[in-house]
Formats: sequence, C-alpha cells, structure tokens
Amino acid sequence: MFTQFGATADSLSKASTLMFRIGTDAHLYDDPEDVNIAPLLDSKFDSEKCEALKRLLALIAQGFDVSNFFPQVVKNVASQSLEVKKLAYLYLLHYAEKRPNEALLSINSFQKDLGDTNPLVRAWALRTMAGIRLHVIAPLVLVAVGKCAKDTAVYVRKCAANALPKLHDLHLEENSSTIEEIVGTLLSDSSPGVVGAAAAAFTSVCPNNYSLIGRKYRRLCEILPDVEEWGQIVLIGILLRYAIARHGLVKESIMFSLHGRERPHSEKDDSDDDFALKNDASGTSGKYDSDLARTISRCYIEGPDEYLSRTSYANRISFEFSGAKFTSGRSNDEVKILLQGTSPLLWSNNSAVVVAAAGVHWIMAPREEVKRIVKPLLFLLRSSSTSKYVVLCNIQVFAKAMPSLFSPYFEDFFVVSSDSYQIKALKLEIICSIATDSSISSIFKEFQDYIRDQDRRFAADAVAAIGLCAKQIPNMARTCLEGLLALTRQDFSTCDSGSTNGEAGILIQAIVSIKSIIAQDPPSHEKVVIQLVRSLDSIKVPAARATIIWMIGEYRNLGEIIPRMLTIVLKYLAWSFTSEALETKLQILNTTVKVLSGAKGEEMQTFKKLGSYVIELADCDLNYDVRDRARFLKKLLPCSLDHGELEVDTDCLPKQQDLPQLQDMNLSQNLAVFLITSLIQSHGVDTLGEGVDGTDSLSGSSYEESASDYSSEQSMTVSSGDGGSDETSSAGEVDNTDPLIQLSDTGDANQNQNGAPQSASTDLEELMSKRSLETWLSEQPGLSIPSTSEQSQLCKSSARISIRDISSRVKPKSYRLLDPANGNGLKVDYSFSPEISSISPLLVSVQVSFENCTDETISEVTLVDEESSKASDSSESSPSHKDVPTLVPMEEIASLEPGQTVKKIVYVCFHHHLLPLKLALYCNGKKLSVKLRPDIGYFVKPLPMDFEAFTEKESRLPGMFEYTRSFTFVDHIGELNKESSNNALVKDNFLLVCESLALKMLSNANFSLVSVDMPISAKHDDVSGLCLRFSGEILSKSMPCLITITAEGKCSEPLNVLVKVNCEETVFGLNLLNRIVNFLS
Amino acid sequence: MPPLMGIEFLCRVADVLSDYLEGLNEDVIKDNFVIVYELLDEMIDNGFPLTTEPSILREMIAPPNIVSKMLSVVTGNSSNMGVTLPGATASCVPWRTTDIKYANNEVYVDLVEEMDAIINRDGVLVKCEIYGEVQVNSHITGVPELTLSFANPSIMDDVSFHPCVRFRPWESHHILSFVPPDGLFKLMSYRVKKLKTTPIYVKPQITSDAGTCRINVMVGIRNDPGKMIDSITVQFQLPSCVLSADLTANHGAVTVFSNKMCSWSIDRIPKDRAPALSGTLLLETGLERLHVFPSFRVGFRIQGVALSGLQLDKLDLRVVPSRLYRGFRALTRSGLYEVRS
Repeated sequence: MFTQFGATADSLSKASTLMFRIGTDAHLYDDPEDVNIAPLLDSKFDSEKCEALKRLLALIAQGFDVSNFFPQVVKNVASQSLEVKKLAYLYLLHYAEKRPNEALLSINSFQKDLGDTNPLVRAWALRTMAGIRLHVIAPLVLVAVGKCAKDTAVYVRKCAANALPKLHDLHLEENSSTIEEIVGTLLSDSSPGVVGAAAAAFTSVCPNNYSLIGRKYRRLCEILPDVEEWGQIVLIGILLRYAIARHGLVKESIMFSLHGRERPHSEKDDSDDDFALKNDASGTSGKYDSDLARTISRCYIEGPDEYLSRTSYANRISFEFSGAKFTSGRSNDEVKILLQGTSPLLWSNNSAVVVAAAGVHWIMAPREEVKRIVKPLLFLLRSSSTSKYVVLCNIQVFAKAMPSLFSPYFEDFFVVSSDSYQIKALKLEIICSIATDSSISSIFKEFQDYIRDQDRRFAADAVAAIGLCAKQIPNMARTCLEGLLALTRQDFSTCDSGSTNGEAGILIQAIVSIKSIIAQDPPSHEKVVIQLVRSLDSIKVPAARATIIWMIGEYRNLGEIIPRMLTIVLKYLAWSFTSEALETKLQILNTTVKVLSGAKGEEMQTFKKLGSYVIELADCDLNYDVRDRARFLKKLLPCSLDHGELEVDTDCLPKQQDLPQLQDMNLSQNLAVFLITSLIQSHGVDTLGEGVDGTDSLSGSSYEESASDYSSEQSMTVSSGDGGSDETSSAGEVDNTDPLIQLSDTGDANQNQNGAPQSASTDLEELMSKRSLETWLSEQPGLSIPSTSEQSQLCKSSARISIRDISSRVKPKSYRLLDPANGNGLKVDYSFSPEISSISPLLVSVQVSFENCTDETISEVTLVDEESSKASDSSESSPSHKDVPTLVPMEEIASLEPGQTVKKIVYVCFHHHLLPLKLALYCNGKKLSVKLRPDIGYFVKPLPMDFEAFTEKESRLPGMFEYTRSFTFVDHIGELNKESSNNALVKDNFLLVCESLALKMLSNANFSLVSVDMPISAKHDDVSGLCLRFSGEILSKSMPCLITITAEGKCSEPLNVLVKVNCEETVFGLNLLNRIVNFLS
Repeated sequence: MPPLMGIEFLCRVADVLSDYLEGLNEDVIKDNFVIVYELLDEMIDNGFPLTTEPSILREMIAPPNIVSKMLSVVTGNSSNMGVTLPGATASCVPWRTTDIKYANNEVYVDLVEEMDAIINRDGVLVKCEIYGEVQVNSHITGVPELTLSFANPSIMDDVSFHPCVRFRPWESHHILSFVPPDGLFKLMSYRVKKLKTTPIYVKPQITSDAGTCRINVMVGIRNDPGKMIDSITVQFQLPSCVLSADLTANHGAVTVFSNKMCSWSIDRIPKDRAPALSGTLLLETGLERLHVFPSFRVGFRIQGVALSGLQLDKLDLRVVPSRLYRGFRALTRSGLYEVRS
C-alpha cells in the first residue's frame, strides 16, 4: 500500500514537471523526427509549417545537418504568416552559404517583402537578404540597402546600417564608395538609434575615412548621450580617434605629461599647486618626447586593430598625418565638446560605456578633470564578477600611471572572501601601487587579515605585497620586517602535507620580501640577517634556505657580529650539504666561495678547509648542475686553496638567478604607451585570457602565467616539503608563540628595534644561541637532518608502475537491445567491443548476442537500419545525407534453436551522433523496432604511446582544448572490503585503487592505458598524487584524445577524482568528459 | 569589440532569457528553444547588438505564459510573434511604447539597499557602505514625464542611471527627470560610503589548542534601525584542515554541508536572549593550532528602512492624469557583509 502511495507521489511529481512543459516546444526538441517533416513543410496550414520548421530548428540545435530540406523551406519564405517567415529566415541564414544556388530562389520573395507595408517585414527581409552573403546578389542587396536607408521607419534604417558591414565583408571593391556614401547618410540620420548602428558600420567599413566624421563631428558629440548604449561604445571610439588624428594629443592631459617625466609614479600626494608645476615640466619636455607622442597618435589614427597587428593600411585617406601635434584642451573647442558629450556617460549603467568614456577623459581631459573618472570606475566594481575583473585591469593601468588618483579610495580594493583568486591578486597589486603614508597603516592591518585567508596562494601574495609596500614606503620597512620575521618563525613543520605547498609559498615569500627590504639599506638591518641565519635550523623549505644562505654570502662583511658567526655557520652548512636540495646546494657553494674570497688571517685556514670540503662533496654530487658549479669554482680558486691569497672577484659568481625573485612593480615607460594604445582593447583581452587560464588552478603550469605580477615566483614550487618530523633538535630559543604576523603594535616594534643595539653589544654568544647551530656540530653531526630530508623527498616522489594483466580483466558492459518480453522470447544484448573494424576506421564494432528464450526455433533473425528498411519498403530511393548513422548490414541468422545463443559482431557508423540509432530487427518475418544507444567511449580507438609522447601531446593541447571535471569515486571501497574479508594474501591498497579505476575506465571506453603513477607516500592510506593516463584517437578524425585521471584522498574513503581530457575537438571532448565522469562516479 | 561590451551583452542576454523563461538552465533552454532562437536573432545581428531593450523585445516576441501555453494546447496554434513593429522603435524614447492605457495610474518607488561591510579580526569596522537601487514600477497612461527628487542627494557618493534619465537636470539640480518604461525597472543605482555603524553585530571567537578548536559566535543588535531585522543568517567556510565540526546554537538552525560550508539561520533575534553558536572543530592529525581562519558572511533584511538615510522628497508628474497613486517603500538587506576572525 505504501509502495503504491510512493508510486503515485512519484508520478505526481513527474506530472507536475510535465505540466511545466505543456505548451512549450519541449516535445519537438525531445524527438524532432517522430513525424515526417517533409509533408508538413508542404502543408497548407501555417501551424503545420511552423511545427515542421521548429522541428528543423531542433535538429539544427542538436547538431544535425538538415540542409536537404532547403528547397522546401525556401518556398515558405513567401508565406504570409510572420512566424513562418521568421523561422524560415532562421533556417535560411543557417544554410544559405552551403546551398547558394537554392538560396537564390528566395530572392524574389525578399524583393517583394521589401515593398511590404509592414516595416517589420521590410526590415526582416533586408536583414536576411544581406545575411545570405552571396556575391551574386550583392548588387541587389546594395540597392535594397540604399532604398531602406531612406525608409520612413527607424527600425528599417537601423537594419540598413547593420547590413552595410555584411556587404563590406563581400569585398565589393567597385561599390565601396557607394557603401561609404550610405554610411555617411546614416551617420547624419535624425534618429540616435540609427546613428549608433551607422557608427558600428563606419568602424568596419571605412574606419579611416575621417572626412566623413569631420563634417558631422559636432552633431555626433551632441547626440552621443541619446544614442543606444552599444552605439555609444563604438561612437566614442570613433570620435576619440578623430580628435587625436585632427588635433593630436592634449597638452594638459595625463597621457601627455606622463611621458614628460622620468618616473611618473614617484610622487606621493598630489596637491593642486603640484599640478601647475608638473604642467610646466611637461610643456618643456614635450619636444624631445615627440617621438613617443607620434607613435601614440599614429596608433590611434590607424585604429587599434591595425596598429596591433601591424598590417599595412591601404586606404588612409584624407588626413596625411605627419609628426605629432599637440593641442590645448582649454582652447580647442572640438576637444572640449567631446569631453562634454562623454562626461554624462560616466553615469551610464553599462560598464563598457563607462570605461570607454573614462578612456576619453584619461587621454583628452586636463589633469585636474581626470578625477571625474575615478568614482564611476570604482562604482563598476559592484557589477558582475567577470566585468569586475576587466574593470580592475583597467583601474590597475590607471592607478600605476597615476596612483594619486586612486589612493584615497584604497578601501574599495579590500578583498572579500567571495572574490576569485584572480580578482584578489589584482586588488592586492592595485593596493600596493596606490599605498601612501597615510593609508599604509590601515592597509597593513588589512594585509594581516589576508595572511590568515584560507586561500594560501593568496596569502603568499599578501606577504609579497607587504614586501612591495615596504619598499615603496621606507618608513614602514621596520614594521614590515618585524611582521615578516614573525611569520618565518612560525612552526611550519606542523602542517600536513596537503597544505605544505601553500605554507612553503608563504615562507618563501616572507624571506624574499625580507631580502628585498634588507637590500635597500643593509647596514641598518644587520640584526635581521642574524635572526634569519639563526632560524636556518627550523626553516626547511629549500627555496627559503637558499635565499637565507645567499644573504649570508652577500652580507658577510656587514656589521660586527656576522663576520664572527661565519665560521660556525659555514661549518653547519658544510655538514648539512649532502642533505640539501639542489638550489640550496648551489647557494652553499656560492656563499662558501664568497666568504673564502674575503677571509683574512687565522680564519683563512678554517675557511679553506671548509671550502675544499664542500667543493669536494659537490664534485661527487648526483646532480650535474652541482658538479658543474663545483668544477667551475674549483678552477676559479685553485691558487687560493693552496696558497694564502685570493683574488676572486665575487661578482663573477652566478648571482641571483637561482633564487626566487621579488618582482618589481615599477611602472615603465612602456606601460604608459601600452596603456593608451590598448587601454580597452588589447589590455582587457589579454588579461582576461590570462585570467581564464589562471582559473584552472589545478595545473601548475597555468598558474605560472596567472595574472599577478609577483605570484609567478612562487610557482617554483618546492620540491620537497617537510616530512612532519618534530625531531629537528632544539628549535632554539626562538619560541615565539605569536601565531601570526603582528604588525599592529608599531610603537612596540620600534621600541624593540631601539632596544636591540644595547643587547647587540652585550654578546655574540647570546645571539649565536649555542643550543641550535653548535649542538649540531658537536653532538650528532649530520644525523638528524638527512633523515628528515630523505623522508621528505620520499614524500613527494612517485613511482610509475604497470598493471600487466589488466586487459584480460576488462569486461565491456552489456546493454539490452530487446527484452524477451517484447520480442516474443528473443533476447538481444549488445556490448561495444574494443576491437577495431578492419573495413573502415569509422566503424564502431558492437557485439550483439541473440538468445532464444522460447521453446521453439526462431528463424531469420537479422538486424537492419530503420532508414534503409523504410527505403526499401517505399522504393523511394533516398540514400540521401551521408552523415546519418548507418549500420553495416548483418549476416542473417538462419535459425536459432531454443536456448541457443549466437554472437555476432555488427559494425555501425555513428558519425559521432549521440542520439539513439533506430534499428529494425526482423525475426520470424516480423519487424521489431529497437534502439541502439551509442556510447561515446567507443568512438575512439586505443592509441598506444609512451609516457613521453603523452606529455608531449598533452602540452600541445592546452587551454581551450583541455576540459576538467572532478567527482567522487567510491567503487574501490567495495573492492577493499572484499579484499580485506578474504585476506589470504593482502594486496596493496594502492594497487587496488589503481586497478579499480583503470578497469572501470577500460571497460567503458576504448582507450589504452599509458601510465600509472603511484605516490610513495609516508602515509599508508593516502593516495593523493595517484595519476592514471589513457590515450586514444577519435575514430573519424584520427585526432589524439588524452585522458588524465588524478585521485586525491584516503584509500579507505571516497576519493576526490579529477578527470582531464585533452582533445582538439571541443564538443567531442566535453561529451567524452561527461561520459567518463558519468560511468566512473 | 571591447571585452566589456561582450560581457555586458552576454549579461543582458542572460537577463532577458531568464526574464522570459523564469530561470536559466539547460532544460528550460531546450524546452523553449524556438523562443531562444528568435530572441537571439533579434538581439544580435552580424555580431553587433540590435535590440536589447526588454520592453521592445517583449512586444516582438511574446514571452511564454500560462494563457498562451493553454491556448496553444487547445488550439494547436502557438504563434508568439508580434505582428507589427513595436511602436517604441520609432519614438525618441525607445524604451516605451506610445499607446499604453491604464484605468488606474500608479507609480511605486522602491529603495532597495544592500549593505557591504568588512569587519576585521579586531572587530573594527574597516569599510561600510551602501549600494542602493531606486526601482520604479510605473503603470501610467500615455507618455508621462516624471520628476523625482531627494531630500538629501548630497549623501550619494556616486550614481548611475537608466538610459531614460536626463543628465542635465541631475547635473544642475540633482533632480531625476525621466519618461519611465512601462512596468518594473531600475531607475538608478547609487552608493553611500563611510557609514559609521551596522545594524547587527557578529562576534566570532576561535581558539585552538592541541588539535581541537573552540568556536563561539555571538549575534546581536548593535544599532536598532527601528524596524524588525529578519532573515538573519551567518555563513562560513570551515578551513580544509578541519576534519569534523560539532556545532550547536541556542537559537535557530545550524547546517554543515559536505563542502564544509556552515550555515546558521537565525531569522529574528529573540527578545530574551542573544543568539549564540558554539562548538568544537576537530583538526587534522598533526595539526596543533588553526592557522587559517574563516570569514563569516552575514545576511539580514530590514523591511521599511533605507539604512543609508537617503530620503525621497517628491515625485511629480508633468501632465497629471485624473488620478495618480504614488507608493514608496524601502528595504535594506546585506550585501557583501563580512566578519573576519
């Protein structure tokens, strides 16, 4: 009873969803071909014609080629029903280029429609006629456009303007002057709507015909606020280019003055009297900057696209522009009027209009008026997140050129947790460039919060940003250093391997930031170097260690204490050398030699011994870079090792290239040019593209290209994390319990710093912290360190294994084609077989098994195409369209005994169609309709290759050819449980997971297994890093199709699995990805 | 084409489609594929936007509604195309058709404000601002000329307008003068910056030690706006290093989702006690203390109050029809309201 109730509830909900779909065209989409379309098209009822056309549209939407209905559809263009017309137009535009001859048949009815009294009919006819894009009818279209340009209805005139670019695309050289004439007429149209469309036509037809604009410039500026928003965007661009071509750059503008100054963003706070001063400076510098100005103006005159692509421009017509001109915005009416026209547009609710108007002000407005663009730009940050990114990119360019504009509004760039990483990084960068003395304290407070953010990559960026701000505002250097040092003291060893990369990134950033701050004024930061050196024993991240060791070499002579520490430190480094990572080893070598080169007196002997010891070790190193460096240094220092003298110029050492770098965010002259050339166009596009790349944070390589300037250095991901060992001997007296950076108490920090010199003089011992470095040297030399680092190296490494007997265990899944209940006792199953047809590479082989479940013999069983069976019935020979899925006719089974099972291989050519294929099954002379569901997993064939070939192919299919999805995989748990219950011989859990993934994959899709990477983790059940690769080739196109499956999580729990498909065929790739996720999860 | 133009256009297409189809997903697009085709054809021509004004589109292509659906089932005829060119395409106010007639003339003006705030981990209000919209719903005969003025327009930091607003009167007198589109539309949006206080407080406390972590969140009214604050929610994302969470609240319901998102819905603050959420988080093995901290997203709604303090002064109609009913409403809800811990 209850089940019954459940059933009704279920059907009720089904009914309610059905209710929603009643009256929509859903049924047409679900099965467009369930009635014969052709007779419907010829019907005399409009509603039937409509239905037929809708069915055709549905087929188009699903990717079928239905161009064979073209002749019948063309007839319907003449219909009186607007709906039929519209649908027919949609169809026509889709196929006109494919069937030009038949499209010509429709011209007559278009001509007739152009004379219709209903403006809508005229407009549609014109749009469609122009949209057909046939050279033959171009003259006709041109006449029609000319006629419609003088139409009484605004809408028709607008459509005429829109038709012009379509005509222009056909390259009608002989008619180009006529087209331009029409553009001119439309530009002076009385309706703003038409002017907008005409502006769009102008940019694509004759972007350089400035004489056309010149006559109407004033009116265009006045009409600008009334034009439609899309037209405004284009029209602003045209007017701006015209104004620059005509008058050159405006002397008072920021653009102009930027090039006059050496370092445009060195100013701190602009006040009004400052402005006057700068204006003078720019006026004088104008002469020698004319080169630059010429480049800039030229790029505007030529139009951004041409300038960027560097193509020659054939038709630069009226304005032969030589040399840069300058004008004054105050005296020039045309500039003034443009500014007047665009300033209300800053209030538009269309972000593109606002940015375009802001661009005009940036280039043309006097400095003191540029402020107007700031608030509207900031207001745009409340729009959608995609446009937010582009707006931020633009603001970034403005802010770098003139930080004072945005510096009062730093709060608007504060990050919220819902921002995407790209937006966060951009905001950080902007904050860095606009930070001033007055805002820096609140900015630092904010940065402290960011360090606790859950996105560790962003937290690392925030650390780098602190370093940048400290460089920019030297007053803050001390406070920053305090905070950064506190960060380095944090106990990073406790974090789990999962988050290690992020934490290591933060540590590296902190040390790199410290390094760059110290580099500005080394003598005053002696203490900091000492502290860092002392923390060497707790810092495990190689890149961070390498940086500290570099600092030892660099500041070996700084102050009094460091030179005295050197012996012990060098000893420690020598001991730990063998267990260090590559970059650290290189730095140890460098530092040893640097110290050696400056040594004197009795220390010399110790250093020499240490030096030769380290070089000796390096000479036998496994890595050839290290050996190479050792030999190089050996050659440099032969005499010094033997004799007492050293004349090595330490500058010749390979310097900082091994180290992570803090990138400079200084504004270069180039940026300024870049700004105006491509402020909106190329800059926006480029960075947007990067952003898209960057969102895919799963592949390390794309991260490197991510939008942020300074995030790139962290992509030098640390090769070995810390193994989570707490045996790192005594962590020294550095038991700082502060969880995180503490910048807030500025006063205290300064006190500390002031207090420090007193203690500094007290003793070396205190700073040297006997317990840390010395204990290593004396007690257990090189024992504890190597062990930990070995472990950590293990942690990251992985082994490539092969599963040998996998192919024999693959069982393709079988589907039911015909149920015995429906088929009079005949049961038909089918499964896709991995075997490749020898007849044609396009065929997919399907194994069909026929089983007789009755007591009688079944005879004459055969399977044929529904289509072909129909064709033979009605003798209407239409082998027709080629791309329809077809079945290669199958040999007939003469008879099937009771209980007998016969297996046959049939070949089907699916042509990549994913809809079920309708087949007819004949048995005992009766026909049964069955549906064969294609499986995209078998539209490929295995393409065996080795790992190298795979990675090489993969690297050639990046970006848009790469699709990923993640899901949870649970299958292995059952296997594990089964295995553990009969644990006669306990199998490796990892292997089991690998196998279950691989088996599942291979039983559902026709791929070949390339490699299996298994992590060798310190943890027993953590499979993170497991990676399976499969390769295949698309049957019809023989394009490679690569699949990478990576798993994360614990063996015994559901795994997070990420599937990545690399394939040139986008639609196929996405469908395949969905299919894989479908059967794996 | 500038990238923002593309983005704006796509947003517009999405708006129009979801307006037509009452939602936007693969299924409704499939179910209404004909309308989607027709709309796209009207909205863009040869890569350049053609007609994007919703009111014109609605006249050209009728949105599917219950009546037309039923009609199509009964009669089998399902035309949704307008037969004539919408009048608006010809007029100089392209967002409005000329021949609108109503028996009752009504205008409703809504102030809908969203409060964005950031409160840092010291409990200091770092940033607090209002993003507001003036939404107008007009049903007026003919082509009305409306003017709307504010009592205190100077508090608005920045504004942006619907294309129907004339710029001149705003520049000179801060008066909105416009011919409204028919029906509901966003007349303007504005921003009021540097607010001093928020209506409610959320105080999170997180302490961690020896692999477990205590979490305690208090919510209460800081500054009573005079109206009921409801739909209060607090949401936060647990850091990935948290293995399990055991959270209880003395008021309202707490849900922990599988992606470690926690949601605490309080709705209204009871009179007798301050709502508090407390619980323990179990950290990953090997992790002693928490080093990343969640941010708390706060949601609330206050009906009847515009927290920015913006006040409408008067709404005038140049040619007054026989009777005009005017209605004003205000609503404040939380926008990007974030409390860091």
